[in-house]
Order: sequence, then C-alpha cells, then structure tokens
Amino acid sequence: MKKVYVLGGAQTDFGRNWSKEGKGIIALLKEVIDDGLKNIGVTYNDIKNLNKEGRIACFVGNFIGEYFVDQGHLGALLTEVNDAFYGVPSARYEAACASGSVALDAGITKIRAGDYDLVLVIGWELMKTVDSKTCGDFLGRAAFYESEAKNIDFPFPKLFGRLADETVKKYNFDNKQYLDCLAKISVKNYNNAKRNPNAQTKKWFMNEEQARERGTATNPTIGGMLGTSDCSQVTDGAAFVALSSEKIIIEFDKVKERCPIVKGWGHRVAPMKFEEKMKESVNNEYIIPWTRQAVMDAYRRANMTVDDIDFFETHDCFTSSEFAAISAFGITEPGKELEAIQSDLTSFNGAKPVNPSGGLIGCGHPVGASGVRMFLDLYKQLTRRALGYQLETANNGMMLNIGGSATTNYTFIVGKDK
Amino acid sequence: MDIKTVTVIGANGTMGCNVSGIFASFGNCKVYMVCRDIISAEAAAIKATKSVKAEAIKVNLIPKSYCDLEECITDSDLIFESVAENLEIKKDVYLKILEFIKPNTIISTGTSGLSINELSECFPIELRSQYVGIHMYNPPYNMSLCEVIPSRVTNETMLNELKLYLKDILNRKVVEVKDAPAFLGNRIGFYFINEALRYADLYKDNGGVDYIDAILGPFTGRSMAPLVTSDFVGLDVHKAIVDNLYYNSKDYARSSFEMPDFATNLIKDNKLGRKSGIGLYKIERQVDGKKSIYVYDVLSDNYRPKEDYVFTFAKNMVRELRIGNYNNAFAVLLNNHSIEAQICTEFLIKYVLYGITAAKEIGESVHSCDDVMASGFDWAPPLSVIEAFGGVYEFKKLAYKHLGNQLEGSFDLNILLEDIPSSNYDYRPFFKAK
Repeated sequence: MKKVYVLGGAQTDFGRNWSKEGKGIIALLKEVIDDGLKNIGVTYNDIKNLNKEGRIACFVGNFIGEYFVDQGHLGALLTEVNDAFYGVPSARYEAACASGSVALDAGITKIRAGDYDLVLVIGWELMKTVDSKTCGDFLGRAAFYESEAKNIDFPFPKLFGRLADETVKKYNFDNKQYLDCLAKISVKNYNNAKRNPNAQTKKWFMNEEQARERGTATNPTIGGMLGTSDCSQVTDGAAFVALSSEKIIIEFDKVKERCPIVKGWGHRVAPMKFEEKMKESVNNEYIIPWTRQAVMDAYRRANMTVDDIDFFETHDCFTSSEFAAISAFGITEPGKELEAIQSDLTSFNGAKPVNPSGGLIGCGHPVGASGVRMFLDLYKQLTRRALGYQLETANNGMMLNIGGSATTNYTFIVGKDK
Repeated sequence: MDIKTVTVIGANGTMGCNVSGIFASFGNCKVYMVCRDIISAEAAAIKATKSVKAEAIKVNLIPKSYCDLEECITDSDLIFESVAENLEIKKDVYLKILEFIKPNTIISTGTSGLSINELSECFPIELRSQYVGIHMYNPPYNMSLCEVIPSRVTNETMLNELKLYLKDILNRKVVEVKDAPAFLGNRIGFYFINEALRYADLYKDNGGVDYIDAILGPFTGRSMAPLVTSDFVGLDVHKAIVDNLYYNSKDYARSSFEMPDFATNLIKDNKLGRKSGIGLYKIERQVDGKKSIYVYDVLSDNYRPKEDYVFTFAKNMVRELRIGNYNNAFAVLLNNHSIEAQICTEFLIKYVLYGITAAKEIGESVHSCDDVMASGFDWAPPLSVIEAFGGVYEFKKLAYKHLGNQLEGSFDLNILLEDIPSSNYDYRPFFKAK
C-alpha cells in the first residue's frame, strides 16, 4: 500500500452568506479551488497534463444540493469551474454530514491503491438559500425521514436533544451539572472560533451564563434540553484538500517532511434510527458504540493510542455530540466526560484540545464541507499554518465526522511522517 | 488592563446603548447606563441586551440617572461619554463628573467629530492624560471598527494597554487615528457618499439620486448603494460629518465635502431619511402590503417612483460576479465606454486615492484605510480595489487615463502610490452580484 500525503488546501470564510452576495455554486467552487490550487502550488495546466496520463481525479462531498440549490450531478459540475476538469474522473459522494469524509476516504483509497497520483477533494454546501425551518426539514433527510423528521420542526436538534437525555440517564448524571458542561463546550468553541479568521461566529458573543440560560428569548430551547447555544448554525461554505502519492511530492518539488500523511481511518455505520441506536447501546459502556468503534479502527490501523494524539477536531453539530466524542476518542472513560470538561482538559490550552478551530458550533457547519474542513484543520495544525489558532504541540491529530444521528461515523488520523 | 466597571453617560442614545452592550458582554463589565431619567435607562438596558443577542448580560447593565453620577463615577475604571455632539453639552457633563473621577480612571468620549484635544482641555491638567476618543461604528456588534484617538497629552502606556484591551477583550478592529475632523472611516466613507450626492445634483437631468445609486450599487464593492446609506444614516448626520470636513480639512478633496443645496433643503423640511420616513427615498406600503419605493427627483423637486435603470456594464458585471469571474467583471467595467461606466470607474479610483491620502495623513499606516472601510463600512477596502484593477501599475495607468486633468494640482500620483503594499483583505466577498 502506498503512503498518502496531504498537500494542503483551502476553505472559504464560513461567515459569508453567498445568497446575500448574489453568488451561487460556481462562484463558491471557483473560489475554493483557485485558492486551494494556489496554496499547494498546482496550476490548472498541471491538472490538464496529469489528466492526459490519467493520474488525477476529483472527489466531491455534498449532502443535498438537489434541495438547497436545485442541482445534482455534482462531480461533473466541476467542468463548469474550469475546462481543466474536462475528462478528469470526478464524482459526488454522500453520507449526510459525513459526505466530506466519504469523499476523502474514496480519494485516499485511490492513492493507496496506486490508481491516481493526485486527488482533489472538495466538500461544499450552500444552506442559506432557504429559511432556517426549511433548512431543518431538508436536513431531516439525514435521519429516517418518514418516521424521524417528516412534519417535525427542526428534527435534528430534537434527535441530539434525545442523545442528551439518554446520556444523563445512562450515566446517572446530575442534569444541571451535565447541562453546565454542555454550556462550557459551547463557550469553548465560540472562544476558539475568535482566533480563526474563517470562522462563522468570530464576531459573535457567548459566555457561560448565556449558554446556561436556555429557554430565554436569545437562547430558546430547540430540542429537548438543548438551546440554540448548543447548536451549530446554518452555514454556507466549501473546503478543499489535495492528497497525493510520493511521485507528486518529487515532481512538484515538495519537502516530504512538511507533508503530513494519513495514518489511520475508521468508518462504521450505526442503525439509521436513533431509537435502534439506543436499544443497541443498552449493554455497552459507550452511548454511541459504533462511533467508538470507528475511533478504535483508526487507532488500530495507525498502530496508535489516544496518548499519541495531540489534538482532535470533532463533529460538534450539537454540544451533546462533542460530549459523547470525548469518551469515544478515549480521552476519558465513558461516564467521566464531566471531569474532562470541568478541568479544561479539552480546552485550547488543555492537554487534549478538542476543536481548536472552533468546531462546527464556532467555525460553522456547511454540512457537505465539514469533513473536509476538519481534515484541512488537521493539516494546518500539523504544518503550523493555523495562524491565530495554532497549537504548540501538533504531531498527530484525529478527526471524527458523523452523518445523521451518529449513524455514519468517520475518523481519520493525520500526522507527521517520521 | 483590568476594566471591571464602566459608566456610559448618554446610554439611551443609539451608540451609548450599543457600546454598553459591548462592554457588558465581551468585557463582562458592570456597566452603569446613565440617562436623563431612570425609565429611559431601563429601556436602554433591554435594548443593549438585544444588541448583542444575549439576555444573560442583563445582570451587568445597571440603569442609572444623572442623580447617581457620583456613585457611578467613583466606582468606574472607564467612563464612556456618549452625549449629544455639542461642545457645550459635553463640557457641562464633564463639569458634573470632574470631582468624582478616581486617578487612573480612563475618560473616553464616543464623539464622531469633535476635536479630542479641545475636549480634553475641559479637564484639569492632572486628568487630561487619561482622556481619549473611542469611536465605534454602528451597529458595533456587526461593525467591529473601533477608532482610538489620543490627544496630544494622552498617557502612552494607558493608550497602548487600552488598544490591547479593545482588541483582545472587546473583539474590536482597533485603528489608532490622529485627532482630525471626522477621523478616518467617516472621512473616507463620506467623501464617497457626498461625492455621490453631488453627482446626483450634477446628473439631475439623467435621473439624479437613483441614477447615481444604480451606477454605484453593491456590484461596486459595498452592501448598500451610497445614497441609500446616507438615507439610512440620516441626512442631518451626513451633513454634520461633511460640514465638519468642509470647514476643517485642508486637503485637495475639501470641495467634495460641500453638501449640495437640494440636500440641505431636504433637511430644512425635516426629510432626513429612514428615521423620518422620507428623505432621499420614501417607502410607501400599499394596502396589499407591497412596498413602493419613491425617490427624490432633484430636477423636479418632487418624489417619483424609483427607476429600474438597466446599464449594460452593470448587468454584465453582475452576471460575471454571480459565477465568480471577478477579472471578467472588472474588464467589463473598464472596457465599457458609457458615461455610467466612466462615472463608476472614476468613483472607484478617486475612492482609492483619497483613502490612501487620508490614511497616510492620519492613520497608523496605509493599511488603516483598508481596516476602517472593511470593518466600519463593509466596503471593498481601497488597497484591495487596486488589486481588483490588476495591481499598482495597472491602477496608476487607469488613474492617469481617467483623471489626468483632475489630478493636476491635487497631488503627485507617483509619490502617492509609491511603495503601496498589497492589501491584507480579499476583495471578492465585497463585490456583490447585485
């Protein structure tokens, strides 16, 4: 199997509202691909040349462009961005909010197998084309729509609100203590986002009092116990990552030591319906066991443990999902997450920082882009390109990207090649 | 810098109220919101929580009246005066608080135009070094610009610590500017807006107000057309800013700050814009709920329905911007020979040149013009416009081509554009496809 190198990439400013700018998918894709290629030192002409030899392919992650922007066939759509993509193998990959990861996985696999030498992965979603209620309904297709989302306002906050309820029940937590920890997660991610120039919430205010006071006019409850401060927002954005074989490193004169490699991955699918997930986890110490399994798979493939990982990017679509991820990563035992949060273990300056970028709550969550954005953030930390949110120690990083109510679970470990 | 308690005087004004919200939220400060009476102070506190979308900060907001000044001032680490823009009124307030100010308390004013040096002289010498201008933009939750204006005697250590506090704790884009009329953001912004108003007069035969706005719409690097912005801000506020610049600035653009008679007459008739329901524009709701927009027609001195102008250059620019072809969009503008495209190009060039001129005179560096226009107006920053036009060399050629005669006697273009750095901003988000 061949090594898979990460060359870098780009993301758009997740604070932008492309509908308000009057711009659509093509403008979004052009911008992120132009910027990404510039950052990795590859031109459209290089793409044409590599394509003549059949050495390049594109992998597009998107959840539900058919609803948000009335467009399908999203792999082929790249030909509208630049004629360099004429003839380049390209397809769209979908696994709800883990669409970016499934596109990454496909690209990584093709490099490992030696089929292509350069792979471009683009994840995107334009969501601000509709109001928030309609958006919530569209996203309901990531659950089992017929029984879990149809005719329900904001189905996903409700599903992750149930995860919160079940977590409290399973570990016999004090309700207030648990909710205060969720508030701490939210505030941490808002604060981290202030250092990230591409974060959606970089100008927004949040503090623990505000995050704790759920059920008020400025922090209404939206799903069970969860308030809007516990939720990621509706976001427009795209992220781009380039992966390559060793050949490209040599051809494009890259310094090998400065290109991190993919060390491990995990991909596990839990039962679609939330109820089934909970039934299945009754006799398991983890609340979402298949998420834990995806983490363990990555550790096994990388021959690593949690001790080897310096930082994490996780899928905090809601605070309750970041809470569950803490034990899934193995940062603490299941049921001990409260201590990790209270002791700031997962804060920016903690020993195991989670979401230094701000995560989905702080940085934003354009669903099809999130997996690629997390992966790009691993790269940025590892190569000291994270500017304002650069961590001191970053040799190996792990990401967890989930689709649905922790249905599709994707993990990657990216690290320095030693 | 540890700022725990703040007194905002004039906290029921738009800025006083919003700035209270910023200190109480990001700064987690206890904020005394001092107003003429306690009822308006209570209403202002509720508004302030809404301005930062956080009810939790309510515990930090303490409504107070002028009767409580002694208690508030003695307890404060920072005073933010936000009363009417009138020297006598401000002096009067300063006299009331003088004796209660602790040594080391920062005394600041939110004035948007009065001289900081002159205002500082209202204080005895031992307090003057603590006096400084803190000029935020409206609404500060969205517009992060914070101009900091020291007087000649402001304590330098305090100033530097305050700038760090505003940047790191209050999440502001801090730009230090010299004590000059209207400071930097409004000087550049209202240069553009007032020029647009003057052109509305000049081109009144072509349509005037809505004609000029259609030429300088969002596709030229702003969210709102300039005269819609003036209507939004209020023609009276607009006049106060440009009058200050007309009477007190000395550079080549001074005449650009003269307000045309038609606008002065609108102010006399109390047609101030959005806040009085009528100004340069007038919106009427029909019985069926639909909005009809009318515009003041300079030529006929009457309101008429707003015209939907279709300029080929604008239509084609928007088409290119929609699909992210920025270079094509700018090529469309520069290759079009219509009078409207010429006006648009000239406005953008003049905006860049004036932005650089003003930043060099009163900013921290040339980049200051970019910082103030991006974070105070949400307009394409001047240096980024140079990049949009193909870089300094191309821009210089363009400026000679379009403004050749007008430049004579104003300044030397070569000197002005010498060593101009690249912008720190990406111009793309600012040029809207509409």
